Amino acid sequence: MSHAGTSTACAAMLRRDLTLAWRRRGDITMPVLYALIVTMLFPFALGPEDTLLQRIAGGVVLVTVLLAMLLALDAMFSSDIEDGSLEQLVIAPQPLALMLGMKILAHWITTALPLIVITPLLAGMLHLPTAVMPVLLLALLLATPLLSLLGAVLVALTAGTRRSGMLLALMLLPLCVPAVIFAAGAVAAAQQGLPWLAPLAWLGSALALAMVLAPLACAAALRIALDA
Amino acid sequence: MSNWIPLWVHKLGSPPTFYRFAGIVMPWMMALALLSGALGLYGGLVLAPADYQQGDAYRIIFIHVPCAWMSMFIYAVMGVSSVIALVWRIKLAEVVAMESAPIGAAFTFITLVTGSLWGKPMWGTWWTWDARLTSELVLLFLYLGVIGLYHAFEDRRQGARAAAFLAIIGIINVPIVHFSVDWWNTLHQGSTVKLFGPSKIAWAMLWPLLTMTLATKFYYIASLFRRVRTDLLALEGGKDWVREIARGEDDR
Repeated sequence: MSHAGTSTACAAMLRRDLTLAWRRRGDITMPVLYALIVTMLFPFALGPEDTLLQRIAGGVVLVTVLLAMLLALDAMFSSDIEDGSLEQLVIAPQPLALMLGMKILAHWITTALPLIVITPLLAGMLHLPTAVMPVLLLALLLATPLLSLLGAVLVALTAGTRRSGMLLALMLLPLCVPAVIFAAGAVAAAQQGLPWLAPLAWLGSALALAMVLAPLACAAALRIALDA
Repeated sequence: MSNWIPLWVHKLGSPPTFYRFAGIVMPWMMALALLSGALGLYGGLVLAPADYQQGDAYRIIFIHVPCAWMSMFIYAVMGVSSVIALVWRIKLAEVVAMESAPIGAAFTFITLVTGSLWGKPMWGTWWTWDARLTSELVLLFLYLGVIGLYHAFEDRRQGARAAAFLAIIGIINVPIVHFSVDWWNTLHQGSTVKLFGPSKIAWAMLWPLLTMTLATKFYYIASLFRRVRTDLLALEGGKDWVREIARGEDDR
């Protein structure tokens, strides 16, 4: 019996997940709507002064995107666990880490990318200066994959449990403190006209590290959570 | 293989042997903890001179600093036994890792509370977003995450393995968090006590501090052994050695 090559399997995995997400387009828009609504609440809560909103805009957008991603994270493996395709993936001859990497990539494309696309709108609602916008987008481009990767490991760990929503938040939020600090640091530095490359470089290095390690950790976590 | 490890270390890994060993050691550890705790507190609260700048308020360090050291030490113990639990699948290591977490969380909580009690008169605020305070808070959440994940599983051993994995992820993350918040904001004073090189603290203040550190270590061992014993009984409920103990209890 011959197995499909690794790259073929990867492509199939990615295509499958993207198709599934596309069939349920409503789910993709949920995090986006959530982010819009949360951002809209801040001016109501803090008052509509331009200067105040400008000062907090970068941080608010970052945290909102983070929370919106957290909401969508729970669903990363849930349908696959229900119909048993995750177990098939675990016993498949192809390396599990790579397959999971593809799933994480698909998840990032379907949840984080739409959020990044509407980020200019979110930032505009809070009067973030246009000059800072590229830095914010760059920071999000580096920080969101990091969150997806970290989150995937934790979602895999909770795969065998029933109530995982709040637990996931409790586990993920402490771990993503560095990502928030560096992303917000870059935006704040850009806003004050300071050099902003260093924090972004740290984010990039963390992302490189996570991209290699997180799929492996995710595979190990899934094996732990599924062997009952 | 591994002939350099004496046999009794291997034997200690078996639940019945460890149960008996812990039962013998635990009272001694508790006694040592009480003794050194009393001595350290007397030395720190009565004998040690007042600080020239902070007056008597500094005396909270005799509780605050040992607890802060313990909060990190216990996390390290938890991380190491988690690695042992996942690599060699030793049941005892899982139990040690999981039963360390609540003790560590308690020490972290005490550190945060005593720190904020000291911060009010000294810094003029209960809480400030300083690097060390923040990373200690993150540490507390990591502990709580491990405890939460452990209890989310119905099968205890599976929960222990998943939570052990989380503890290992946390141990990789702790230095990163510490470094990043350090870079972000710092107000807390630097270390005064150094393992290598001269410490910047008077001997009259240092010895109670070290005694208290010993006391917290002894307490940790005593408390951990007690928890591990209880957990082992629950985990091994159907085994013969537990039945024998239960029969012995009945006869009494």
